[in-house]
Amino acid sequence: MEWADLISAALPVMLKGALYTLMFAVVAMVLGLLLGFVVALLRVGKVPVLSQLVAFYVSAMRGTPLLVQIFVIYYGLPGIGIELDPVPAGIIALTLNVAAYLSESLRGGIAGVDRGQWDAGLSLGFSWWQTMRYIVAPQALRLSVPSLSNSLISLIKDTSLVSVITVTELMLATKEVIAQTFQPLPLYLGAAALYWMMSASFERLQKRVERKLEMAHQR
Amino acid sequence: MKKILLASLMAAFAGHALAADLLDTVKQRGTLKIAVEGTYPPFTFKDAQQNLTGFDVEVATEVAKRLKVKPEFTTGEWSGLLAGLQAGKFDVVVNQVGITDKRKETFDFSQPYTFSSAQLIVRKNESRVFKSLDDLKGKKVGVGQGSNYADMVKAVNGIEVKVYPSAPENLQDLASGRIDAALNDSLLIPFAIKQAKLPLKAGHPVGDVTTMGIPFAKNNPKFKQAVDKALNDMKADGSFKKISVKWFGIDVSKAPTAAK
Repeated sequence: MEWADLISAALPVMLKGALYTLMFAVVAMVLGLLLGFVVALLRVGKVPVLSQLVAFYVSAMRGTPLLVQIFVIYYGLPGIGIELDPVPAGIIALTLNVAAYLSESLRGGIAGVDRGQWDAGLSLGFSWWQTMRYIVAPQALRLSVPSLSNSLISLIKDTSLVSVITVTELMLATKEVIAQTFQPLPLYLGAAALYWMMSASFERLQKRVERKLEMAHQR
Repeated sequence: MKKILLASLMAAFAGHALAADLLDTVKQRGTLKIAVEGTYPPFTFKDAQQNLTGFDVEVATEVAKRLKVKPEFTTGEWSGLLAGLQAGKFDVVVNQVGITDKRKETFDFSQPYTFSSAQLIVRKNESRVFKSLDDLKGKKVGVGQGSNYADMVKAVNGIEVKVYPSAPENLQDLASGRIDAALNDSLLIPFAIKQAKLPLKAGHPVGDVTTMGIPFAKNNPKFKQAVDKALNDMKADGSFKKISVKWFGIDVSKAPTAAK
């Protein structure tokens, strides 16, 4: 098959798959950040019972392969009466997984803020929450951005695993074209290029966020 | 053909039986949920217009028609298909599922609708002759992940088994000389060699005849009867032969023939 034919056969399908990939990544990013922030707060705040529970959750998510988590959520939960469609199941699995990593990045950021900042806030009469909200969290966020981005960029690539639950994202779309054309190398390279483009545009976003957070620290 | 993957994980989810017969459920719903890989030509794959097509797709469509319901296809990776069937995500998998004793512990099968055999694929300029798997001791043989071909070569001591995600990668590596032979379904071979445009040829058939059927959840006698009747009727009125000849040039519901 000629290159032109191959591209014209593959591109529409792979772009559609890439859209799915992007949708999974963005939704899981937003939900994962929210959940990750809650988890980090529960742990930093040493909320009784809940902090142990979420510590267990983080350990379980980081200690088992995402592929297995996706499998269990989609194929396993019907056994106890929870029936999920592939898309929500994929989003839940990706969110739960990435939130565990994000919460650790945020926890690291919060721990990186000097103890004196807490003392200052509390001595001004701020409550614990106010100190966190107005003094510690903004500084912690700035410290966490590089490692948060690490997890989020990994997430873009991890979406390829949801192909096992019948979602035609970029990876499965690519395999479908390979099955039709028997040209694995150029098509896998094409998929790699698309993943890279998505990750690269996220890196640019990361730089902008970093610059913005840095402004408050210019002298 | 085919494959057992994550068997232990699946076993953990086994054992929730449906109360009504699957046939009643399907009729009531008005659709037959059919799972296929969609990446396994010429059995189930997407054509240039991205329409799902292939031998198994046409057989499944015809079976659904005879059950008087609409076919509803889902595509997904092989490693998820049998697990999904077990979890009740779909009613049947029509993707050249080999009827094996191990699978029969978990699923019921329709009557066999395809006879085939395992066959070697080698490079076009291959001068060595591999007549059986024993001739491949000390050599590298490529097979599909979780396929029964993988089980076949692993059962022979001394073969270096290379496991591939699917046929295109396997054949590419064969052409580039990283492995000595590939093992796959004799019915796949002519199509794959033609599509891949790689310097490959069909080798010797090895092993016994394999039979393929349609698996579904256990304890659905009415459903089994209806599917078997649909297949019998298709064979009787020639529509099965028509589909088969269209894709393979031969009637695969009869005696196996090795691809040349």
